[in-house]
Amino acid sequence: MLAGNNIIKKFAEQIALDSIDINLNPGEINALIGPSGAGKTTVLRALSLIDPPSNGKVIIDNHQYAFPTSLNKDYEILWPKVTVVFQQLFLWPHLTLYDNIKMPVNQNDLDMDYAEELIRFFNLCDCVQRYPYKVSVGQRQRAAIVRAISLRPKYLLLDEVTSALDVEQIKNLSQCLSRICSEGCGVIIVTHLLGFARHIANRYSFIENGRILETGLIKNLDEPTTKRVEEFVSIM
Amino acid sequence: MNIFEILVQYRQAFLNGLFVSFKLALSIWVIGLIIGSILGIFAARLSKSVGRITTIIGSIITSIPALVFLFWLHYPLQAALQVVINPFYTAVVALSIINIFGVSSIVRSSIIDFPKQYITAAKVCGLKKSITIRRIILPLIIRQILPGILILQVTMLQSTLFASLISVEEIFRVAQRVNAIVYRPIQIYTALAFLFIALCLPLNLFAFWLNKKYKVLTSDQ
Repeated sequence: MLAGNNIIKKFAEQIALDSIDINLNPGEINALIGPSGAGKTTVLRALSLIDPPSNGKVIIDNHQYAFPTSLNKDYEILWPKVTVVFQQLFLWPHLTLYDNIKMPVNQNDLDMDYAEELIRFFNLCDCVQRYPYKVSVGQRQRAAIVRAISLRPKYLLLDEVTSALDVEQIKNLSQCLSRICSEGCGVIIVTHLLGFARHIANRYSFIENGRILETGLIKNLDEPTTKRVEEFVSIM
Repeated sequence: MNIFEILVQYRQAFLNGLFVSFKLALSIWVIGLIIGSILGIFAARLSKSVGRITTIIGSIITSIPALVFLFWLHYPLQAALQVVINPFYTAVVALSIINIFGVSSIVRSSIIDFPKQYITAAKVCGLKKSITIRRIILPLIIRQILPGILILQVTMLQSTLFASLISVEEIFRVAQRVNAIVYRPIQIYTALAFLFIALCLPLNLFAFWLNKKYKVLTSDQ
C-alpha cells in the first residue's frame, strides 16, 4: 500500500498541505480532484518523495518514512516502483522519444517488448524517432506515459496527463490504466475531467487549500457530503 | 610589391609568428578550459565558499582590461618581485587567468541553472546517479556551455595580439616588423584581418548555430 499519513508540507512559512491522509491500494485508481492551486501536484510530489513532506509519514509497502527525521534519506530504492508522470512531462530534450523510453527501461533491466507494445498502443510509431521539440504536446504526453508504464511501476502517479490528449487517446489511456490495475498497479490520477475520473477511478479525493475535504468511492461523487464538493461537481 | 610577394618573401617570419600565436592560443585554451572547468564545477558545488570567491575574483579580473592586466604582470609586478620572465610566459599567465575565470563563470552558471526537472524525471525513472550524470546532465550541460566557451576562446585567440605589446614575436608583431621594412600597411593589415576572419568567423558561426540548436532543443520543455 502507498499511504500518506498526516502529511504537512510547508514552503517557507506557507502551508501547502495541511494534515493530508491518502491511501492507495495495489490495483486501485484514486482520482485526486480539486481546483487549481489546491495542492494536488504537491501531494503527488510528497507521496513519491520527490519533494518529501515537512511532517507526517509516507508508507510504501514495507518502507516507512517519518518526517522530518527521514529527510535527506536515500529514496532511490523506491523508484521506479513508485513513478510519476508530471504535468510538464520532463522528457529529456536531447533524446528522441524512443530513447526517452528505452534508456530507463534498459537501465532498470526491463525488456523493451512491453514498451514497444505500448508505443504501438498509443499510436506513437510514426513519431517515436523524433526529438520532443519536433512533436506535438499530445505526442509528448503519450511518450511520457509510455515511459512511466514501461517501467512496470507498482504505484503510478499521473498529474494532469489528459490535458493534451484527444478523446481517442483518453480512451486508450483508460484501457491501459484498467489493464495495469488488473495486474496490481495502483494509480493516483490528478484530473479536471470528472467524466474521465468517474469512468476510470474506484475512489476519489477532493482537495482544496491543501486539505482533503472529502474522500470516498467514485460512485458517491454525484452525492457529495460537503457543500464545496457539491458546488465544484455541479460546475463541472 | 603586392601582398603575395610580401608573404612569399617573408614567409619564414610569418610562419614563425603564426606558430608563436598558435602556441600562445593553444596554451591559453588548454589551461583555461581545464582549470576553468574544474573551478566552475567546484564553484557550483561549493557555492557559498569557492563560488563566492571565484565570483569576486572573476568580477575583478574581468573588470581589468586585458592589456592593462598584461602590462601590470609584465612591468610593475616583475619589477616589484625583481624577476624577469620571458614575455611569452607572462602572456600565457595573464591571458590564461582571464580565460580560467571566463570558463569557470560559464560552467558554474550552467550547472547552477541546470533545469532540475530533468534530474527529477531521471529519479522517478529509477536511473542511478552516475547514469543521470553521464546520460542526462553532461550532454545537456555541454550543449549549453559550448557556444559560450567557443566565443570566449575566439576572443582569447584575438587577445593574443596584445602579447605583441610586451615583445612576444607573434603574428601581429611580425606583421608590424615586416610593414616597417616594406611599408605596405593596407596590404599587410588587410591580409592579417582576412587571416583572423578565416579563423574566427567559422568558430563564431558554429557557436551561433550550436546556441540556436540548443534553444530549439529545449523549447517547450
